[in-house]
Amino acid sequence: MRKKARKDFRLHLLVCAGTGCAANGSFIIKDALEKEIVKQGLEDEIAVITTDCQGFCERGPIVIVQPDGIFYHRIKKEDVPHLVEEHLFKGRPVKSMMFVPSPEEPAIPRLMDIGFFKHQRLIVLRHRGRLDPENIEEYIGFEGYSSLEKALTRMTPPEIIKEIKASGLRGRGGAGFPTGVKWELCRTSPGKKKYIVCNGDEGDPGAFMDRSVLESDPHTVIEGMLIGARAIGAHKGYIYVRSEYPLAVKKLLIALRQAEEYGLLGENILGTNFSFTIDVVQGAGAFVCGEETALLASIEGKVGRPRPRPPYPAEKGLWGRPTNINNVETWANVPVIIARGALWFSSIGTKRSKGTKIFSLVGKINNTGLVEVPMGITLGQIIYDIGGGIPDGKEFKAVQTGGPSGGCIPRELLDLPIDYEGLSKAGSMMGSGGMIVMDEDTCMVDVARYFLNFTQEESCGKCPSCRLGTKQMVHILNRICEGTGGEHDIAFLEEVGRSVKLASLCGLGQTASNPVLTTIKYFREEYLAHIREKRCPALVCKSLISYIIDPQTCSGCTVCAKNCPSAAISGEAKKIHTIDQTKCTKCGICLSVCPPKFKAVKKTSPAVQ
Amino acid sequence: MMTLTINKKKVRAKKGETVLEVAQREGIYVPKLCYLKGVTPYGGCRLCLVKVKGWEKPVTSCTLLVEDGMVVETETPLLKRLRRFSLQLILSEHPHACLVCEKRIECADYQECIQKTAITSGCKFCARNGNCELQELIDYLKIEEIPFSFKYRNMEIEKCDPFFERDYNLCILCGRCIRACQEIREAGTLDFHHRGPETMVGTAYGLPHLESGCQFCGACVDVCPTGALRERYSKWEGVPEKSVQSTCLLCNIGCSIDLKINDKKLINTTPTHEQICVRGRFGIAPLVYHPKRITQPLLKKGDRLVQVEWKEALAYVAETLKAYTGKTGILFTPQMPVKAIDSIYALARHLKSTIAAPLALDAVVRPFDVKKFERGSVILIVNTDMVSDFAPVLLHARKHSKMQHRIIVIDAVKSRVAEMADLWLQPRPGKESDLVRTLFAGGRIGKSVGVSQEDYTSCRDAVKEGPVYLLFNADNMKGMKLPKRVSVLPLASSINTLKILEMGTDDSAERVLKDKSVDCLYTIGVAPRLDRKYKRLIVQDSFPPSFDFDLFLPAASFVEIDGTVVNINGKIKRLHKATEPLGNSRPDLWIIKEIGKALNCDLTKRTIRRKRRGKKSQLRKITVTKKYPLYLIVRKNSFVYRGHMLSALMKGFERLRYDNRIWINSATARKLKIADGADVRVIGQAIDLTLPARITDHVPPDSALIYAHPSLAISGDQSVRIECIKS
Ligand SMILES: Cc1cc2nc3c(=O)[nH]c(=O)nc-3n(C[C@H](O)[C@H](O)[C@H](O)COP(=O)(O)O)c2cc1C
Ligand code: SF4
Ligand code: SF4
Ligand code: SF4
Ligand code: FES
Repeated sequence: MRKKARKDFRLHLLVCAGTGCAANGSFIIKDALEKEIVKQGLEDEIAVITTDCQGFCERGPIVIVQPDGIFYHRIKKEDVPHLVEEHLFKGRPVKSMMFVPSPEEPAIPRLMDIGFFKHQRLIVLRHRGRLDPENIEEYIGFEGYSSLEKALTRMTPPEIIKEIKASGLRGRGGAGFPTGVKWELCRTSPGKKKYIVCNGDEGDPGAFMDRSVLESDPHTVIEGMLIGARAIGAHKGYIYVRSEYPLAVKKLLIALRQAEEYGLLGENILGTNFSFTIDVVQGAGAFVCGEETALLASIEGKVGRPRPRPPYPAEKGLWGRPTNINNVETWANVPVIIARGALWFSSIGTKRSKGTKIFSLVGKINNTGLVEVPMGITLGQIIYDIGGGIPDGKEFKAVQTGGPSGGCIPRELLDLPIDYEGLSKAGSMMGSGGMIVMDEDTCMVDVARYFLNFTQEESCGKCPSCRLGTKQMVHILNRICEGTGGEHDIAFLEEVGRSVKLASLCGLGQTASNPVLTTIKYFREEYLAHIREKRCPALVCKSLISYIIDPQTCSGCTVCAKNCPSAAISGEAKKIHTIDQTKCTKCGICLSVCPPKFKAVKKTSPAVQ
Repeated sequence: MMTLTINKKKVRAKKGETVLEVAQREGIYVPKLCYLKGVTPYGGCRLCLVKVKGWEKPVTSCTLLVEDGMVVETETPLLKRLRRFSLQLILSEHPHACLVCEKRIECADYQECIQKTAITSGCKFCARNGNCELQELIDYLKIEEIPFSFKYRNMEIEKCDPFFERDYNLCILCGRCIRACQEIREAGTLDFHHRGPETMVGTAYGLPHLESGCQFCGACVDVCPTGALRERYSKWEGVPEKSVQSTCLLCNIGCSIDLKINDKKLINTTPTHEQICVRGRFGIAPLVYHPKRITQPLLKKGDRLVQVEWKEALAYVAETLKAYTGKTGILFTPQMPVKAIDSIYALARHLKSTIAAPLALDAVVRPFDVKKFERGSVILIVNTDMVSDFAPVLLHARKHSKMQHRIIVIDAVKSRVAEMADLWLQPRPGKESDLVRTLFAGGRIGKSVGVSQEDYTSCRDAVKEGPVYLLFNADNMKGMKLPKRVSVLPLASSINTLKILEMGTDDSAERVLKDKSVDCLYTIGVAPRLDRKYKRLIVQDSFPPSFDFDLFLPAASFVEIDGTVVNINGKIKRLHKATEPLGNSRPDLWIIKEIGKALNCDLTKRTIRRKRRGKKSQLRKITVTKKYPLYLIVRKNSFVYRGHMLSALMKGFERLRYDNRIWINSATARKLKIADGADVRVIGQAIDLTLPARITDHVPPDSALIYAHPSLAISGDQSVRIECIKS
């Protein structure tokens, strides 16, 4: 034995080395811990292990002490000796480094008691923080590849498909198509050569579920693909990873090599007549390349541009042959379903949406990070119980789900149970799992404009409706944000938005207007304020706000006047200052420099007329 | 066969057809813009949307394959709305000022503002006005206003290339040009670039077409539904009112072409059902109306050339030819109808004159259909470029993956076809025919050939059995013994070559020119360089020759006559008269007949069958010496009309290949301090020419290349010395 086996140590320190924690210096912490442990002579009792993303990136660097599951966060190098001495040596967990949900509440020692973790349900991320993705043995140690063995030796391909169908698993990449049905279509599609593809393009800005899965548990995806390949009758697979994910590519390549060495990929896998290989393809970087037909074109070496379906990839995919494409998360669900059975899987979730979904929770929320939750959980539970609510005592305003072309869901719908149908009924979608929380300081018109601007730039340019329709909508939104919109603009936006949905070829165009349509639907008064009163209620749209100095509280300290880059503020020392609105460029520096004790500078957006 | 319902009408369709195609066939109009017959459907314009029963969303019918029992609606209110929406959006970026202009009705009559602006801001300023698919659709969809803000994309109009220019501000991104270029022409010059609002069509890195592998076939221009791509020559010539199918005579393939006529004038020539090349697409109309064209009989009186009536001209010829019976040499171009050729032979016999055409008479020809290469065959291309001159033939050869052809190029020169071949053997200059001979005769290849044994072996194995097609330049591949399974085609030869080979000639054109007994020379569409004086010189042509003459008989061009020609496959092709002969010009046949009449000679008797006297010319062995240190490769030029190089007549053709220059290897040029475009003197044992240089890496070191041409009086490879005279 080269190494002591895991259980031989008294304690394990799991240091998160996910991209987020690593950026916060987790490797420095790891070094410091190891040195300190040696110093205290504990190296035979305590092992320091790096793990992949724990999902609570915002709190990094994170260390978890097992087996008790004590959770330490935001650790600094200076804290390390104290931590080692107190907890590891004397056995007294250190309160000051534990998670505190709010100043009024006590610190929570154990990971599983923290809201962020407590309400999650880990299926895809079941190995989160527990295994070394570069070591296949660890994956195998957690029963890895036993589902493959089961599928290969104890199930026929139709049985596998039946199981996946019965589980109710639906695609996690966007549209939520039933995975088993898709497999069956591809399986029954005529043709000898078939392909399967894993879609890891993950173009949604801010989303990183797929990256996290690929980096922390690549073998789950590989195993899922192997099972799928067996079911469908494919001999070749491609994992398409966006080029901004070099680490995921690296880990995947290591995992693939190890799987090959273990006879899990290649010819006659596990001694059966089943053969399968996987190549990794690096994406071209455009958002639209995540769309399945564009992605297939990209793998073929062509420009990634969607094409009309039918024919569906299941009939004519890569090089004209039947191809099954699924998202990373979809594939990662497969081994668990095979291992634990369709019945178990389908017991989680709602009537039509089974299992869990990973969301990347970002925006104006206390606990940002990746969360895996059972389908059917409400938006409110995610935002308050897991996310810990809105920071700085602000009001929740809306949550956008499903990436840049998802809709914005208002407070009234916080009790909405999350599933595919529910979200699309609310005018949004599951998408690949982006979730952006917005507080009262967000202008919904500006938000709509922001997302639409993204989609119009990412449109592949094929359909007039998408390429030019979104552009016209951005144009109108700009107008409204500048206070020059007319009331008819709202109806026109809705009309254009609906037509863009119907006239466009692919999902990008078909969903691009969601942010506009939902914000009009749920926040119409905000549009009207911009149009009728030339007022931005959230004080965001530059053209509609002004900075003024409150004569009641201004003490004439001159700080604002000294800092104004446009020399727009006048006033003598100890006298009330005023801002010349014709010179003001609305940079907001005065607001930020005005001493808190005076709070004299105010941002306003008064109604005009 | 299956049945489907379109707009309540039961229609039958075959598997693999699209709903759009079926609807079209059934006379059900479905608007469309990006659809283009024969290429992959694109589904981008969104105009052909239809409703299929049971489907939630509208689908594009151009991409939708028929299914049995399908129920399709093509004109629901929603579809109409969406189509209008897409077209209005397209117009939000397509200059449409005239469309919504209040004066548009009067404008049609008074044209108040026409051509007052430098850019195309509306239909009245566009070359495609009245011939534009957008206008048709605007009428059909009854679009009278555009509810969107207009954006002029403000891209620079691309005028840098020959033959056509591009104003992508008018482009609607239908991708038809791209698919034509990639799929029909396999040129791959055009593609989409960028995305979102920046999406545009163009070449890689926005390079000029001249540098992007463009064949200048015009396929893109012809499929563009808007005025974005437009032929420079004909852009303001209006909408053609009729089209006459005829044959292009500019090379030996004789492609069918459509002569587009407007107001009794030829405005341009376009392909019929098959592909054509740059000559047939862009070379014909400018030739017909070329400013240098002579359309009146001219007679030398004293020192002056005087315009005369045909009567006087014909009297003069008859008298002269009679006087010089037995002492006349006739040189004629094969680029005229076979009847004219028959008549000239008859006339020659009557006059006991020697007759010849500028052809390689000992070229082996085993004709085959250049559009049908057998599956799995080897296509051996020797000493000819093909991309610029025989692109349509190459297209058939390149049906690669489907037909499993192999293309092997043997050429000392790095031609464009060499760059795309499966295998390219680059022997030393002049060794190509040795190589080909050994290839079929067997045996080892000599070191002096300069080809690696390995390449040679794989080439020999490839041609060992099965059908082989040998396509070569007739001028430097002579007297070849080849197995029966090899079909042979001298590519750079002329139309009617087979006809003339069959009839035989007295001698080669060169020898007629050297023949001391000839006192009177009568040239028909041949413009050689003359090294000696003649007592009488009669020229029958469209363009003036480089020498003085006594009489000029203006010949009609091939779009102005009826007749037939024989192409290199042995196929009879028809010429149809599309316009009246320009000015006072007359068809060659008419002129020859009139001469016959005046001489009382019956030209209808087609009895002549002279024995070919063309001696088997041996390939001369060329050795470079101290005095003549460079190897000059001489290639037959196939860009010639009646003895005139197209590049001498049309600027575009000059820029296309610079075939009027001497191509010099760049290292060699550096040694000799010759700059691109500089005038150089080329001195050899038998030549002394001055011409501009083109510096290129396409010719191997220590060598240069000239496209042979009658006016240069140079034939066959030789060793030369090059001197820079002016840079
Ligand atoms: C514009 C656009 C972008 C997309 N991007 C992704 C992506 O990044 N990852 C992904 O898995 N699916 C993406 N999809 C969805 C895919 O087209 C496809 O539906 C999915 O990969 C199918 O897998 P699933 O059935 O497992 O969800 C995108 C779709 C569109 C229209
Ligand atoms: S909807 Fe947009 S992204 Fe999709 S094909 Fe059309 S233009 Fe391209
Ligand atoms: S002229 Fe022919 S080769 Fe050139 S870009 Fe157009 S289609 Fe392509
Ligand atoms: S240039 Fe013409 S053919 Fe090409 S995409 Fe634009 S409009 Fe279509
Ligand atoms: S013709 Fe079908 S989408 Fe353009």
